[in-house]
Amino acid sequence: MQAIRVENLSKTFRVKKKEKGMAGSIKAILHPQTEKIQAVNGVSFQVEEGEMLAFIGPNGAGKSTTIKMLTGILYPDGGRVEVLGIDPTKKRKQLAYQIGTVFGQKEQLWTHLTPYDNFRFFGAIYDLSEREAEVRIEELAKRFELGTFIDTPVRNLSLGQRIRCEIVASLIHKPKVLFLDEPTIGLDPVVKENIRSLIMQMNREEHTTIFLTSHDVGDIEKLCRRIIIVNAGQIVLDDSMKKLKEHYLQGKGVEDSAASDVSLEDIIMDVYKAEGRTAAV
Amino acid sequence: MRKYMVIYRSVLLENLQYAANVAMGFLGYFVFIFIFVKLWGYMYRTPEELIAGYTKEQMIWYVMMTEMLFFGSNAASVAREVAGDIRGGNIAYLMNRPYHYTLYILAKYTGEWSVRLPMYVALAVVIGMVMVGPLPHFRLTAVWAMALCVILGLTINAVFKMCISLFSFWIEDATPFQWLYDKLILVVGILFPVEIFPQTLQPLLKLTPIYTVCYGPAKLIVDFSPEKCLEILVVQILYLMVGCEMMFLIYRKGVKKLYVNGG
Repeated sequence: MQAIRVENLSKTFRVKKKEKGMAGSIKAILHPQTEKIQAVNGVSFQVEEGEMLAFIGPNGAGKSTTIKMLTGILYPDGGRVEVLGIDPTKKRKQLAYQIGTVFGQKEQLWTHLTPYDNFRFFGAIYDLSEREAEVRIEELAKRFELGTFIDTPVRNLSLGQRIRCEIVASLIHKPKVLFLDEPTIGLDPVVKENIRSLIMQMNREEHTTIFLTSHDVGDIEKLCRRIIIVNAGQIVLDDSMKKLKEHYLQGKGVEDSAASDVSLEDIIMDVYKAEGRTAAV
Repeated sequence: MRKYMVIYRSVLLENLQYAANVAMGFLGYFVFIFIFVKLWGYMYRTPEELIAGYTKEQMIWYVMMTEMLFFGSNAASVAREVAGDIRGGNIAYLMNRPYHYTLYILAKYTGEWSVRLPMYVALAVVIGMVMVGPLPHFRLTAVWAMALCVILGLTINAVFKMCISLFSFWIEDATPFQWLYDKLILVVGILFPVEIFPQTLQPLLKLTPIYTVCYGPAKLIVDFSPEKCLEILVVQILYLMVGCEMMFLIYRKGVKKLYVNGG
């Protein structure tokens, strides 16, 4: 069954333009000018339940905008979105019970509270009973090894500890789809590896669909079985990780793909360059 | 409702850790009250004199009560936080939860003033008793009605401030509008009671949020009457209904205009 269905999705932003210096600032007040930017342009794809998908692209390619449309934060200008059979723009609250989000560059935890108090808070927000929340917190705390710092205020945690707590907070209500937007940004290699294994374990045990955006090739290689590359708001590649290298080399006219030592990073860089890194948003 | 109670409780827990910081604002409150005690002491030539129907004690207690509401309900979450959430992109996290964002902010705000206001009430009572003396004809039995009017007044104020903040969906910075609203409330409702202004202006002023936000609750505290209380409560409920409707409408429209900064 399909967890996510996207058809011809589009989103345009109007961004203010200002010329240089003081004169430019005054001119912008008197004659405000805006520029129309096509952040997402006719994107279509499907994600199966339990799949782990990497949705990547250069900065400004439209990845985060797409995630925000899938989670009901942004309204599309055109096209159709269905997540678990729900239209996010029409039933955002209903969808919220079924999905989890982690934006690596934003905080959802209350920094003055402990992770435990935060989890209890999110449990109540998602209508879990006290008993259900308690059981779930215990289960996740064990799995994510939060034991030593679950009662320390979030503001005193290291980045790695905080990200683990951020992920746990997003999983408290057992979401069927988890959107991870650069979850390992700024983490050291050991913590990154640890986060990846925890995500994999969760996918295996709870059959959670993972929709990942990341600039880290390690995240993509180790977690995902399928990759979609977007650039300038359009899909430029959609392939399985298994076949990607083979298809890429075939496209380059190389027949013996096994003999080639081309890496995923090389392929991604090549695709970015071939399509031109036109920044969108 | 349970989830909003949980939000309220979490903010309360968080703010209790910073109760000492609230006490730092006591000095500002004291300076304001000191100035007004001296000012009204100069304006009233005899103890029996009435200005706009208020005795000297009532006038000073009126200012103390309105200032107490102003200092005790510093609406950071409804003014700066909403605009900050929209501009900084944090709204992405707050919107896709199974609650209504505006009610989430209101619950937070209530948790904030639940810590601050009681501290300012205690301070106002101490300063008032020492510098002015007891409030004449104060109805202790009607404290619950006064408290209800105060709570409704604070909530109406929060709803209106939130409506202004929600304009951040369209404009980059709603602070100038917040400033105008605050100054209107300060000059017309906090520093002076409505009766001080010309007769022709008074009906107009009573139609503004000032009547329900600060004038009404403070007037009840200094000069309580059941009829006045009923009148203020009815107007507050009407204002709250209209304000909430406006807030939900602006949010509904604004959210479609959202542009999350930083991708």
